[in-house]
Order: sequence, then structure tokens, then C-alpha cells
Amino acid sequence: MNVDIEDLHVGYAGRNVVAGVHLMAAAGEIAGLVGPNGSGKSTVLRTVYRHLRPTAGRVLLAGADLRTLTPGQTARRVAALPQERGSDFELTVREVVAMGRTPYKRAFAGEDRADRESVARALAAVGLAGADTRRFSALSGGERQRALLARAFAQDPDVLVLDEPTNHLDVRHQIELLALLREQRRTTLISLHDLNAAASLCDRLHVLHDGRVVASGPPREVLTPQLLAEVFGVRAAVTAHPLTGDPLIAFDHRQRLPTGGG
Amino acid sequence: MAPTVADPHGREETAERSGRRTPSAGLLALALGLALAAALTAAVSLGSTGIAPAEVWSVVFRRLAGAPARPGTDDLIVWQLRVPRALLAALVGAGLGLVGTATQALVRNPLADPYLLGISHGASLGAVAAIVLGASAGGVLGLGLSAAAFAGALASFALVWCIARRGGGFSPLRLVLAGVGVGQFLSGFTSYLVLQAGDEQQTRSVLFWLMGSLGGATWNVLWLPVLAVAAGGLALQARARAMNALLMGDETAAGVGVDVTRLRRELFVVTSLLTGVLVAVSGAIGFVGLMVPHLCRLVIGGDHRRLLPLSALTGALLLVVVDLVCRTAMDAQELPVGVVTAMIGAPALLFILDRRTAAGR
Repeated sequence: MNVDIEDLHVGYAGRNVVAGVHLMAAAGEIAGLVGPNGSGKSTVLRTVYRHLRPTAGRVLLAGADLRTLTPGQTARRVAALPQERGSDFELTVREVVAMGRTPYKRAFAGEDRADRESVARALAAVGLAGADTRRFSALSGGERQRALLARAFAQDPDVLVLDEPTNHLDVRHQIELLALLREQRRTTLISLHDLNAAASLCDRLHVLHDGRVVASGPPREVLTPQLLAEVFGVRAAVTAHPLTGDPLIAFDHRQRLPTGGG
Repeated sequence: MAPTVADPHGREETAERSGRRTPSAGLLALALGLALAAALTAAVSLGSTGIAPAEVWSVVFRRLAGAPARPGTDDLIVWQLRVPRALLAALVGAGLGLVGTATQALVRNPLADPYLLGISHGASLGAVAAIVLGASAGGVLGLGLSAAAFAGALASFALVWCIARRGGGFSPLRLVLAGVGVGQFLSGFTSYLVLQAGDEQQTRSVLFWLMGSLGGATWNVLWLPVLAVAAGGLALQARARAMNALLMGDETAAGVGVDVTRLRRELFVVTSLLTGVLVAVSGAIGFVGLMVPHLCRLVIGGDHRRLLPLSALTGALLLVVVDLVCRTAMDAQELPVGVVTAMIGAPALLFILDRRTAAGR
């Protein structure tokens, strides 16, 4: 399912955080959003899973304007992994994952076979099949992210939206989570701070700066030393990864460059 | 699939493999139902005049079958005094269990409860103002009183919400402090109004409105809480899944297709309505709405589809027992029900606080 974002504007308290963003993810493709803090990545993603409403512009799912869909219809197509951490209300892993079935259920409906199968598939996909009766709050950081990802999978979505899913994870758990996303082959919009991870994972990158997209395309073409200097204000060399051939960004940790803002 | 057991880097993850075994919600509900029936029987049979349980049930069945009253005081005591009171205790307890659960989901904080958040005090003030200012001239327990209590509940809830929200944060401590502050402020006005009115016939005592009492129970009073608890319970149960999602956060809830703003508004109204009705018939009874959901969560977990009905049953059971204690503990006089719920509930609150602090939140 294609995701197209056209001329998106989003504002809080009269100030536009996102001003005229155009970006897209083709069906089955992983599209990455990168950019400095405050560049508007999370804000863009929040409009796709309808936590925020655009002040102007539109979000299209397979050509259909999000505003013509109900919240439930949207949630059957788009599943999100936001940055917020769940609070401790004694939910089990299974209950958290089963939450993904919410958009399919009427008010008093119980769980049916489709729900149970979907939840079991999702738990198996993230390697938590044996942990379903454990308390969510007792999980480690890596397990917690995997459980939340399973909840998104249980939604059986065409589109996954993930906001910095690797934050707070050690490098092995980061790699594990991104590998899970690769296996899924679903249309994915993901924001990432780690540019090397983004370069290796994404089919397409959109670079945001001050609420606008300043570059779009395959990682190899987008991630240039010039762009890194202009947008992030860092000096870096871009080479090929000796093991994988992916673009590899080597930052100069001794020197900052002046930036144009943000 | 990557089983965590074989994961050499996941030692921390394998340390706690013991899953929590959740008891069957159906069995638990059955057990609670039986316990509630036993408690109701005890509540009707015990008192200044002891009446054997068999006699209690015989009176109840005769009355339910439409048979005329038997001569003698037992029939009167059972049917006119104790049965309505026991039923009111059960209804109010169930209602408090429901509003407690809903409030905790609404503000995403297990320390919330209509009493602790000052909502009950708002409802009390609304009810007392209505009585004193004569807004409910047509029958003290009619809709007028409940409507005033509802308005008071809504207003105080909104006030506490705004105060706790100021500055963007929404910390548990801030919320509880705002609730306690607003509650004390409002109960000051309630006491003033009740003492000013001075008309003993028209106003119930300060104690009734601030500590709660089930002494006002008659058959005529019961229909409104029956309706409110049934309708409120159904309205909440219909939103149980959405409430689960709300616990994880607004963005998560939006992501699974919950209209968060609407859900909040609905929970706000249902909670205030139910609190208003409960306070109108029984005054402000504290801590039941705090303890009951917390206790139930410890036993069957946080899924609202099970938590709501079990909280209602547990609340009913608790308040029937507490009211029985209040009636029978002292020979000469009755204890206000809120005194006993506070004696159990305040330590429970401290325990919850301690647990949460220990958990690092």
C-alpha cells in the first residue's frame, strides 16, 4: 500500500512544526525519515497514525485521503509504534499484543479464532511466543520493544509507522529489531537517529530539516558529506561498508560545523 | 522464531521466565457472586434484632411472590429496612468500583479515585447546594438532587484536571495534590452550607455528605442507582478495549483506532454522572474506588474486560460488609460508613504509594 504525504502542514499553538512536507513510501518499501532533533520527523509520523491532525495538506493511503477514513479503518491499514512508554497497569504481554486487534472488534465482542491466530503469529514473529503470560512491565527494554512491535503486527496492517524504535536499545537489540522489520516486507515509514542504520535498512530516505524535506532518494544518493554538513552540522566521510557495501558514514567527532538553524 | 532461552545475550531476559498465572475470571466472578449473596444475607439477618437467615429468605421470597406482609416486626425489619439498605450498599459499592476503575484509566494513574480527586466532594457540594437553595423542592432524592450532584462532580473534575494539567505535566503527585486540595476546599463550603441551613428536616448532616452513609436507604431510593450502575457499567464495558489502549498512552490508543479525545470525554461524563448519583444517595464514601480496582488488578491483571465486572462485584461485596460492621460494631450508635472505608483505605493508599515508589515510578 502506497503512502503519499502531500504538502503537509502541522502546527502546535500557532507555530508550524511541519511546513509543506512531501514524501512517500512505495508499496512494500521501507522509507526512512532522518533529520536533526526537532526537524519534524515525529510530527509527520503522528499524522499518519492520526494522533495529530494536519492543519493543511493530506496523507494518502493507496490514494485514499486519511480524512475519508474512520479511526478504525485507518488502524486496520496502519499500525504504529510510537515513542511513548506504556505505564504499569499490570497488563500481560499477551494483553498488550491483543490490543492490536482493537480496530477489528465491536464493543462487546470476545476474542475469536482470527484474533488468537493473529496474536500468536505476531508473538512468534518477534520471538516472544513463550513469554505471553509475563507482565509487560517486567520485560527488558529490548523485549518491550519487540512486544510493542508484535502489537503492531497483530493489527495486520499494510503500513507500519515506527518512531525511533531503536531508542534506548543496545546495538544487538537494535540490529535484531531492524532485521524483524526487513523480514516483514511491509510498507514502512520509520524515523531513525542512527544514519548508518537508516542507510542499511531503508530503500528510500527523506531528510527533514526545520519542518521541510530537504532531500529524498536512495540512501546512497542522499547521504552525502555536503548534506550532512548542511543539515546536521557535522563533518563526515561517506564510504562503503567493508562487510555489506552499504553507505557508511564516519563522523568527525572532533569538529562541529556551523548550521543554518534547528 | 528466536526463543529467548537459547539467547546468550539475553540473560537478563531469561531470569524472570515465570509467567503470572491469571485465575479464571469466570470462576472468580462466581466465587464473588456467592460471597456477595452470603454477605447480603448476613447484612439482613444481623443487627440489633437478630433474624435467622432462613427467616430472611422466607420473607424475601414471600414478598417477591407478591404475598401480603406477615404480621410481626421481622417482616418489616427485613423488607422495609435491611433489604433496601443492603441492596443500596451493594449498588453503591459496585458503582464505586466502576468509577474508580474508569477514573484510573482516564487519568492513567492507579492513585485516582473520585473521592481522592475531589469529584465526590464536588458532587456533595452540588447536592447540598440544591437542597439548601431549594432547587429540588420536589423530593429530596429525585432527579434534581442527582443532577446537581452530577454538575458538582463534573465541575470539580474539570477543575482538578485543569490544575493538575497546568504546565503540561500530569504527574501522579500533582494530580493527587490537586484533588485533595480541591476536595478540601469544596467540603469547606459543603460544611458551611449544611450548618447554615440548620433545618434538620431538610438537610442531612455534614457527616452524611462528607463521610457517607447508607442510612437513607428505602425502596424508593433504589431505582436511580440501579439504573445508573447498570447503564454506567454497560457504557464502560463497551469501552473496555479502548480503555486498555488508553493505558499505554494517547498515541498508542490513536494508533489502534481509538478516538482518544472522544473516549476521554465519554469517560469523563460517565464517571461524573455515576459519581453524582452515588453521592446523591449515599454521600461521599472514600477509598473504595481506589482500593477495589487496585486489588482486582493484582489478582486478575489490568485487562478492563475482566477488571470492570470484577471491580463492581468486589466493590459491592466490600461495601455490604463494611456497612454491616458500621451498623453492628457499636451498641448505641452507627458508625459513618466513610469512617471505616477510610480506616481500611488510607493504609491501602500508603501501601500502593510505597509499591509504586519501590517500582521506580
